[in-house]
Amino acid sequence: MTTVAETPTSTSPASGGHRRRSILTDRDKAERRLGIRLVAPAVVIMVAVTVYPIGYSIWLSLQKYNLRFPHDRSYNWFENYGKILSSTRFWQTMGNTFIIVVISVVIELILGMALALFMHRAIFGRNIVRTAILLPYGIITVVSAFAFKFAVTPNIGGFWHVTSPPLSNHTTSLFVIILTEVWKTTPFMSLLLLAGLATVPNDYLEAAKVDGANAWQRLWRVILPNMRAALLVAVLFRTLDAVRIFDTVFIQTRGANNTQTLSQLGYNQLISQLNLGLGSAVSVILFILVIIIAFIFVKGFRTDLGQVRGER
Amino acid sequence: MATIAATGSARRAAGTREIPMDKRKISPLWILGSILIVLYAIIPILWILSLSLKPQSDVTDGAIIPKHFSWVNYSTIFNTGVFVRPLINSIGIAIISTVIAIVLATLAAYAIARLNFPGKKLVLSTALAIAMFPPISIVGPLFNMWRSLGLYDTWPGLIIPYMTFALPMAIWVLSAFFRQIPWELEQAASVDGATPFQAFRKVIVPLAAPGVFTAAILVFFFCWNDFVFSITLTSTNRSRTVPAALNFFTGSSQFSQPTGAIAAAAIVVTVPIVIMVLIFQRRIVAGLTSGAVKG
Amino acid sequence: MIAPALAACGQGGSGSVNGVPVINWYIGAQAGGWIEHAISVCNDQNKGKFVIKEQELPSTASDQREQIVRRLAANDSSVDLIGMDVIWTAEFANAGWLYAFPDSAKAKVTDGVLKGPLESASYQGKLYGAPFTSNTQLLWYRKDQVGAPPAGFTWDQMVNQAIAKHEYVQIQGIQTEAITVTFNTLLASAGGTFVNNAGAGENATIGLQQGPTVDALAALKKLASSSAADPSLNTNDEDSSRAAFEKGKSLYEINYPFIYASAASVKGLQAKIGWARYPEVVAGKPSKPPLGGFNIGISSKSKHKDLDVAAATCIVQPNNQIYAAEKGGNPPTLSALYDKIDKKQYPFAQVLRESINDAAPRPVSPAYLDLSLAVQETLVPLKGINPPQTAKTLRDLAKQSLKGEAVL
Repeated sequence: MTTVAETPTSTSPASGGHRRRSILTDRDKAERRLGIRLVAPAVVIMVAVTVYPIGYSIWLSLQKYNLRFPHDRSYNWFENYGKILSSTRFWQTMGNTFIIVVISVVIELILGMALALFMHRAIFGRNIVRTAILLPYGIITVVSAFAFKFAVTPNIGGFWHVTSPPLSNHTTSLFVIILTEVWKTTPFMSLLLLAGLATVPNDYLEAAKVDGANAWQRLWRVILPNMRAALLVAVLFRTLDAVRIFDTVFIQTRGANNTQTLSQLGYNQLISQLNLGLGSAVSVILFILVIIIAFIFVKGFRTDLGQVRGER
Repeated sequence: MATIAATGSARRAAGTREIPMDKRKISPLWILGSILIVLYAIIPILWILSLSLKPQSDVTDGAIIPKHFSWVNYSTIFNTGVFVRPLINSIGIAIISTVIAIVLATLAAYAIARLNFPGKKLVLSTALAIAMFPPISIVGPLFNMWRSLGLYDTWPGLIIPYMTFALPMAIWVLSAFFRQIPWELEQAASVDGATPFQAFRKVIVPLAAPGVFTAAILVFFFCWNDFVFSITLTSTNRSRTVPAALNFFTGSSQFSQPTGAIAAAAIVVTVPIVIMVLIFQRRIVAGLTSGAVKG
Repeated sequence: MIAPALAACGQGGSGSVNGVPVINWYIGAQAGGWIEHAISVCNDQNKGKFVIKEQELPSTASDQREQIVRRLAANDSSVDLIGMDVIWTAEFANAGWLYAFPDSAKAKVTDGVLKGPLESASYQGKLYGAPFTSNTQLLWYRKDQVGAPPAGFTWDQMVNQAIAKHEYVQIQGIQTEAITVTFNTLLASAGGTFVNNAGAGENATIGLQQGPTVDALAALKKLASSSAADPSLNTNDEDSSRAAFEKGKSLYEINYPFIYASAASVKGLQAKIGWARYPEVVAGKPSKPPLGGFNIGISSKSKHKDLDVAAATCIVQPNNQIYAAEKGGNPPTLSALYDKIDKKQYPFAQVLRESINDAAPRPVSPAYLDLSLAVQETLVPLKGINPPQTAKTLRDLAKQSLKGEAVL
């Protein structure tokens, strides 16, 4: 037991690395064994359930394989990718996904920041507000999609008395989808930003006030720069979430009127048409896209994500 | 406990909890802001509630507040078998997935927070990578794999992917909590004469419990919410959960829309969320902000 | 004794109850109780031989299809009978998921059946389904505002009438199977074909001849861009058009007969509704109305195919069809029954029979799903159609879809 109790002082990566260069005592070895054994089950499950299927996906994507034509199975190598990348439908889908991602993340960032600032400074009603915003966070996405869908369906919804129902054309459908997404996830964004706000040292703000900076300048020159890591995490997570958007689009339009997104496209090929070859290729493309975005963010901001959480 | 308070107030001093005197007056703007935010959060939910209380004939009248109140939608969904079984599936699968995920994540987070071993960063990065993973990319292979293994349309068939995608968040939240725990207290207890097991039970467990509980709530929300896996890896009410079942509600004819029934079911599955949010708001916020905001 | 019963209790598995084999019939949930009725009749008539159990599928046809194909593709042996939408026959048969009715059993389920339904249940010369119910769309009109359509009434005349009276024509413009139904009907009525020699499977070719296709598309465009188009046209499915017609301000509606029974809920409306055959697209060419309905298919992985044949034959018996017609709003497939169904509920029985007999089935092709998606994605929104150009776009996309090469 004493072995374990001693470790807090030496667990941080800095000194941990330093210790490793000296001789490993039996205690160290036992600790390492224990550590690995404790994380192993979680890691094994995470890796097995994702790595194997994605590998299988890649293998399937190199084949012409449709479960409805079971005798017509062969390797067509990169033909599936060729068909997808040269199809207008695919690029429209990419465009839709891009529009949804950019617009919703920008709005959520602005609204979320406003909400975070409010929660940070407010005394009255702080608990009420915090409780209230957890409702959109906790509610099932499918339920919120139905709520907004019913609100804009003619005859059912009392909120929209427009001549042309919003879900019947491309632009307004995207608007409804984005509105639903923003409503649901702004609270989560605001909590991530609130966490970042809480780490901005008050002395900096006081100093800025003394220097005569107004609220706006304080926001841009003091608060935001000191929240870089939190901003990065919030935008990264939300962007990746938005790229993978599925539930809302499925419930509200199923991709009709050219509102298909990448996940919806994958679903249609895989599940509706049982076209495992083409559908897997779409899945792999989505997967690669997610990796690229994450890579760009992390490298582009040159911030160690590990610094954001806990390892202060 | 004293150490936690010390850590907390140290954090508070460095942070911005000190509100200057002039802001302590409750200005009407804050009240207005609070009201607007609360309205923002609950209007869509009230709308669904209103729809669920309308009788079939009023569904298409477009009124925001029902002209006639009726429980018929609720009795329909509970009596016609389209909803009860999916509800049971949702509850059972979410609870089992949460329990298993929390157990595994607690072990892993404990190791990450307290022990020194190679590959720690790798584990955290892997968890992060999994959290970014697009679920649709693996539903094809999972469908194929599950149908060969006989896991298609079963509870384990859903529990396994749920666990997998819940683990990253659970590990991150728990390791953040565990890093803040003063583990020296355990040593202090054993110096005071407690056996290792007593030290564990009386000192560690109370310290770790809040974090574990919070992580469990967040994981439960995640499992309760899933839609993608539920509609692709199930095909009957044997294991279909509520979000997917909402999509398959039947209307009064081949061509009609069961709007009222969907609304009633939506309210029923939102009630547990509302209750949990009301009771555990502080914990949830603390979990989502990695302890930076303790309320 | 106990073990088989437990096995049957556990899941919808192909077990048996008290030693009697269970036949699982997968069909979309339907209002009116006509499926339950058919099952209880057949269970009574076959006590000790087999027991049929209903296994519910979702309510919309496309969701039903998605759920059943997954099970069939997973070689699920618990699937015995399938309530197949008429458009699934070729796809399922080609994929090897269906068991062809043996010659000895064919006569009993095909004698006296109308032409349209019979065609929809066959593929490459074999019978893959027992026709149970049928459906078609009629032209409904407000007889208090306009006279009965004369013989040879055309689509153009219909739209012009509505414009003149400042009222709507209700059709389904939503991006689902409904729009393919409409398009296929207009195409066939204009004299065109969608797929040539559909039975040739891989060697079939796309028809969509420019002339008739342009006629069909022009008809849609004319309505969609006129004042007779309902503002919600792009999101109107069968139920929304019914609701819109009931609300008033509509002179004509093209829809399935279920709207007639529903109209009874609006005071005085039912008495004001008249009916006629689907309008012509090209003057002089009789219209070819759409065809819907259910055929009872048998899964090729079923463990007791001979019992399934007997069960299917029992299900489609005349009194079950009459019950389905009177309680569920689904017209029969047996020609003789049109003289027997309740005249109060089916005052339009003769027009119905004639329409179903002359109906043009949608292409009986294994790639039907892809073809339908091609139509849906090209035609919607209807207002944006440019007939000659859209015809060409559709033809190209359909050619790709036939080979399963289109990304849709």
